[in-house]
Amino acid sequence: MLEARGLSKRYGAFLALDRVAFQVRRGEILGYLGPNGSGKSTTVNLIVGLIDPSAGSIWLDGVRMADDPVAYKRRLGYVPEEPHLYTHLTAIEYLMLVGRLRGRSERMLSEQVPALLKLLLLWDSRYATMAAFSKGMRQRVLLAAALMHNPDVLVLDEPFSGLDVTAGLLFRTLLRMFADEGRMVLFSTHRFDMVEKLCSRVVILSHGRIVAEQTIEPRREQATSLEDVFVTVTGHEDFTPVARDILDLMQAQ
Amino acid sequence: MTSYISARWRLLRESPEGRLTAHFFHSMFDFGFLSELGADSFKRVVVGSVGGIIAVGLVLTRAYMVKYASLWRAASPEKYRLALAGDDMLIIGLPMLLVAFITLLVSQSLFPDERDFRILGPMPLRRAVVFRAKLAAVLLFTGLFTAAAHASLIPLMLLTSMNPWGEHSVVTRVVAWVIAGVGASAFAVLAITAVVGVLGLVLSRSGLHTLSAMMRSAVLAALVVSLPLVSRLPVLGGSLSNGPDWVMFLPPAWFLGLQRVLQGSADPTLVRLAVIGLGAAAVVGLAVAAIYTVLFRRFERLMLRPGAMSRPWFRMPRFVSRAGETPAYRGVHAFTVTTLVRSQLHQGVLVGVAAVGVGFLITLLGARFRNMPLFAPFVLMYLCGIAARAALVLPMEYRANWIFQMTEDDATRRDQLRAVDRVVTTFVVGFPVLVATPVLWWTRPADAVMVLAVLALVGLVFVHAVLYGWRRIPFTCSYLPGKRFIGHSVIFGFFLGLFFTVFGGGLASIAASGTPVAIAVIVAMLSSVAFVLRRQRLALWRDLPLMFEDELPDQPQLLELQR
Repeated sequence: MLEARGLSKRYGAFLALDRVAFQVRRGEILGYLGPNGSGKSTTVNLIVGLIDPSAGSIWLDGVRMADDPVAYKRRLGYVPEEPHLYTHLTAIEYLMLVGRLRGRSERMLSEQVPALLKLLLLWDSRYATMAAFSKGMRQRVLLAAALMHNPDVLVLDEPFSGLDVTAGLLFRTLLRMFADEGRMVLFSTHRFDMVEKLCSRVVILSHGRIVAEQTIEPRREQATSLEDVFVTVTGHEDFTPVARDILDLMQAQ
Repeated sequence: MTSYISARWRLLRESPEGRLTAHFFHSMFDFGFLSELGADSFKRVVVGSVGGIIAVGLVLTRAYMVKYASLWRAASPEKYRLALAGDDMLIIGLPMLLVAFITLLVSQSLFPDERDFRILGPMPLRRAVVFRAKLAAVLLFTGLFTAAAHASLIPLMLLTSMNPWGEHSVVTRVVAWVIAGVGASAFAVLAITAVVGVLGLVLSRSGLHTLSAMMRSAVLAALVVSLPLVSRLPVLGGSLSNGPDWVMFLPPAWFLGLQRVLQGSADPTLVRLAVIGLGAAAVVGLAVAAIYTVLFRRFERLMLRPGAMSRPWFRMPRFVSRAGETPAYRGVHAFTVTTLVRSQLHQGVLVGVAAVGVGFLITLLGARFRNMPLFAPFVLMYLCGIAARAALVLPMEYRANWIFQMTEDDATRRDQLRAVDRVVTTFVVGFPVLVATPVLWWTRPADAVMVLAVLALVGLVFVHAVLYGWRRIPFTCSYLPGKRFIGHSVIFGFFLGLFFTVFGGGLASIAASGTPVAIAVIVAMLSSVAFVLRRQRLALWRDLPLMFEDELPDQPQLLELQR
């Protein structure tokens, strides 16, 4: 279980986050909702260890992050809101870099990276540097980078921005299957529709404080939504096999 | 009349074209990696450099006063004529080189690019307005430096013209020089613009960013290395009268020919040189016009071209790190090398500063000091060290560094920084040794091996100085320009370089002429120091966290105004 206990973050006189507490249980996708400036990204930055809290602590399976931040970060995958990556590299080079920084062997990377690119429909662009990629393509690279070390926890900060319908559906299927394996997902967004479709519980943040927390029933897809029509006419109906392949690749040792 | 001109000027300035020209002009000072504060500081440096150019002109005039005073009293006009030919070539060549440098420095802004296309495209502006504004901004920027360079050399021009042996009036000479000199500078601007334009149109289209970046760096290196050649132009005056073939390949000589023809000369060599100069200027001018035309007509297609879909036909040879290295080492090594190979900015800094070292090497080898080949490689090594540190410090996509922050680990940090150590050692030790090997083999064949060994060992010690206080993954830390007073840094750097050269060259001299015992002592001493310093470095890297935010010097300077 991932747990935030009394997290506060202060920038000078400004209190960005005020005693925020929540839990992400195993097998759960927690929606973290809030308007712009409510403190969502600050929370995400604290959870992934990019900044230190002014007060409070983060726990993963009963171990405090501050006690062993490196072990904590090894179990974490992160997709940032803006696709900040090294655009002078190709997708293969970037994923090799991330894999090496995560300590993956060359043999494993040489199999995993091309397979991930093929599954995420980036293989045709493998020779292009990411400067030529659209935002959606960059998001897909970041998702691959977040998954390739087989994390227990996935932290997503607005992961659907810039994704087309097909990639969005693949992401959703993947996240559901990821959580179904008993892992944890913290999903920060301001899009209610995505939270309704994906999350089992939601935390709402306003002015740096949690103002509501509730269990929700993931909304069933409407019988014939516009999205259904789109995937039918474009020939992408079932993403479960692709998502399964990605999860299997993650877990390959 | 004045009010009419000022009204027209205001109208032009406030028109979309005028505003866009001003915007493009200002963006030439933006290199993309500096903060707003840094860009402001850079603008001051540029304005200051214009003042510096004028000061250099005055210093040159002062230096030439003695020479021309003696020529004034010469018995025959021959000496004056020879000196004048060489010095005229210098007065034409110096602004050419300066303007070529400046043009290359702003090469990212010479043509409308994708950013202009995406931002200005949806605005109610005709494409012709955007292109005209861009061209006007380029002309203004390069024109500013051309004017400053020529203005600074006017006193020298007057000094060389006012002589009893002079064949032309001062006014004739100045007018001819201004026309020929500005033509030469325009040729330099157009030649660089044409090279950059062709690279942009042809190479980037094939996804050959690496080759494009390398070719630009090669042009930069060629310009830097040609500096010592420009300083030798005054002694080439005599060669002109003989009309040897190689003069036909010397651009300043072409425009000297033009100047002389404008002064009324009908000498066949000078006429031929003038024709070559005008022809070359016309060719590069037409090339630039063609590139602008192609870009104008196919703007959408060129700006929206997809990324490379097939394997590029040119690939840099893979710099394979040693088998058995850890993934962390391989990751940082590949990231550093790939960035240096692909990034125009980082490669430009690395190649530009190192080329200054090569220029010094060439100049020093021409000096009449027998042991100079033993000292000169150390100057190159010192400048390679500065180049390596400067290139690795500059950030690249700074906000993408979160991946390094998230994966920082005490267990792998040392391996990551060891990869940086390897890259620096290869460049700071390997490159000077590579360049010095043929030089020493040619000038000091008997001592070459010993001197090269000392050079390499001193280099291994010097790597410690280059990486002193280093705690960064290259290109991932923010950068604060101007942390220290620039004059202080230059003076400190100069004396440090002088000490390093004298120390290294001294050891090389002892190794070249010393007894076997002395050589063994030097080798043992340097090896031990290099070994100990490397161990210290690695131990420090194991314990200290990485740095992702640049820091100001830790101790404020105490003025001690009150006692």
